[in-house]
Amino acid sequence: MWKTFFEELGAEVVVSPPTTQVMVSEGSSRVVADTCLPVKVFLGHVLSLVDKCDYIFIPAVRSVKSKIYNCSKFLGLPDMTKAVIPESPPILDIEIDVNKGKRHLYQAIYKLGRHFTWNPFKVRQASLAAWQAHLKYRQLMSSQGLTPPQAIAKMTGEVELKAPTSTQATIALIGHPYILYDEHISHRLIHRLEQADNKVLTPEMLTTEELESATTRLVGKAHWTYEDEVVGAGVHYLETRVDGVIGLMTFGCGPDSQMMDMVHRRAAKLRATTFMSLTLEEHTTEGGVVTRLEAFLDMINRRKRRQIEVCV
Amino acid sequence: MRVGISHLGNLSIMIKAWAQRLGGGLILPPANSQHTLSLGAKYSPEGLCLPFKLSLGNLIEACELGADTLVIASGAGICRLGYYAKTQEQILRDLGYNFEMISLNLSKDRLLGLIKLSKRLSNNASWFRVISALRFGIAKQIAMDKIERVVQKVRAVEQVKGTANRLYAKAIEAIDNADDYHTLKKVQRDYIDQLNHVAKDTQANPLIVGIIGEFYVTLEPFSNLNIESELGKLGVEVRRRTFISAWGKFSFFFNYLGLDEKSKIHKAALPYLKRDVGGDGWETVGEKVLHAKEYDGLIHLAPFTCMPEIVAQNIMSSTKENIPVLTILCDEQMNRTGMLTRLEAFVDLLKSRRRARNNTQHKGR
Repeated sequence: MWKTFFEELGAEVVVSPPTTQVMVSEGSSRVVADTCLPVKVFLGHVLSLVDKCDYIFIPAVRSVKSKIYNCSKFLGLPDMTKAVIPESPPILDIEIDVNKGKRHLYQAIYKLGRHFTWNPFKVRQASLAAWQAHLKYRQLMSSQGLTPPQAIAKMTGEVELKAPTSTQATIALIGHPYILYDEHISHRLIHRLEQADNKVLTPEMLTTEELESATTRLVGKAHWTYEDEVVGAGVHYLETRVDGVIGLMTFGCGPDSQMMDMVHRRAAKLRATTFMSLTLEEHTTEGGVVTRLEAFLDMINRRKRRQIEVCV
Repeated sequence: MRVGISHLGNLSIMIKAWAQRLGGGLILPPANSQHTLSLGAKYSPEGLCLPFKLSLGNLIEACELGADTLVIASGAGICRLGYYAKTQEQILRDLGYNFEMISLNLSKDRLLGLIKLSKRLSNNASWFRVISALRFGIAKQIAMDKIERVVQKVRAVEQVKGTANRLYAKAIEAIDNADDYHTLKKVQRDYIDQLNHVAKDTQANPLIVGIIGEFYVTLEPFSNLNIESELGKLGVEVRRRTFISAWGKFSFFFNYLGLDEKSKIHKAALPYLKRDVGGDGWETVGEKVLHAKEYDGLIHLAPFTCMPEIVAQNIMSSTKENIPVLTILCDEQMNRTGMLTRLEAFVDLLKSRRRARNNTQHKGR
């Protein structure tokens, strides 16, 4: 969406490459140790862009829905980057907060556009185009069951996707998109599950309404921006009886420590679906993740076999 | 109705005063202890912060004592506090306790919410009684905080270490027992007087250290291993902005009138942090900038994994104001010896800085 926006305004967009180990370690060397992993990775990405561009765009996303806020780390992101990476190019930071009313939002977008053009109509056109692109992207994911990287690839027309083959089990992954789809951090979890002939479901494959109603069933009104992805998706998948749910979170994530616990307790109460929570950090080794994954899949398979035996 | 609450510094005395005047059944859990902490840590998700664990421990202990209504403060803030009530309720229900959970949204309902809640919990006492009870409790809180400010000064220079602490403990007990405004005033005057007459080292020119950081851990001595008194033993005068009475005064009364005690702090933080990051992160950065000239050093207290304070901590190290900051993360693994060693080293550093500064001043003359 932002890419369309800037390109419409005639800017060239440089997107940072996929995460590497170097990025993670460089990012973590800049901040205090107990900063959460996503922030460290983020800073690694910024560092990789330092010489490549004139501006870096880091919005402070305060809230995108009324009375639901994002976590502190997102709010402080532009300022924190400025503080720990003094050599970075000028940062384009705008504050997105729908609680302050539409006017505030429009002004923020306009202010952002002013860096590229003086013409307010051009900014308006660009944002409309960006919004269309975003809607198309959302629709691709929820209707066709694509993961965000797949959807982006499809939109830019890069690859033709092959239809999923026969499946052993259906596994739902819940967690923040920046963890699930980061192949380095999550140790290619999605790929590994698919290799083992499992069908993978992610929060983005549900519609907003499904997510919201599931969140409401467990905790009432959401408090965090990402609550729908974790609690909503978790509850939805637990109740629709998929074969297993894996909750992915990172060490030091404040909201997750609470939300994942709620999902965990729900899973324990339902006693129907196998649930595993994986906590990732920069020291997590691939071997450890793979072992736990294998054990988890074995458990699901055994459970399925037993159910069949009972039926017979 | 038996109401259970959790502790925060000496807040319980104020609440006890309310309950006594209103005749409501208050179940005061025992003061924070290792037992409270282990209970809280055992049943909390591991990644959660210390305030959550301790207050959960308090609530479990209150439930054990037979509380059937639990009151938890919450806020619309961006920190995890807003989510405490939901998670704690779930945990306590899973433990099999039966209770009614009331979450008091302080940032939305403000004073009126508090008054309404007190009225409800006291079985519909008259408005007059509710308000006068609240007022008396607040008077106690103000008295305690006034005495504590004096104690912070005396601790640094007293000749027999521990005198001020002893007096402070006695004062709190006396305030707790005070039954009317007259006694309360007398107690306050008496103890401030006594504190001023403690034998002091008149030569001493104590170092001044500001305590900044997260609300709960700066206010709850158990959670920071009584850091202020330890600093006092090292001959350091402690200053801190956060007091319950000061906080209440502003967020309940003055902010309505457009007076914000924090706007000065926020302004100071602007070059480094442009917006509120929830909790006390913005204030932490601002206070560093503000106090760089007047204090010798700052101690930044934060619970482990506290989100706003991590942001603040990352930003603070790059500000151009030159003042040493020691960050102490509080969690259930913290131990006294480790903290004391760090404090001693920090105080040594501050002393040598001051000496160096004085020397250059002499030469300059």
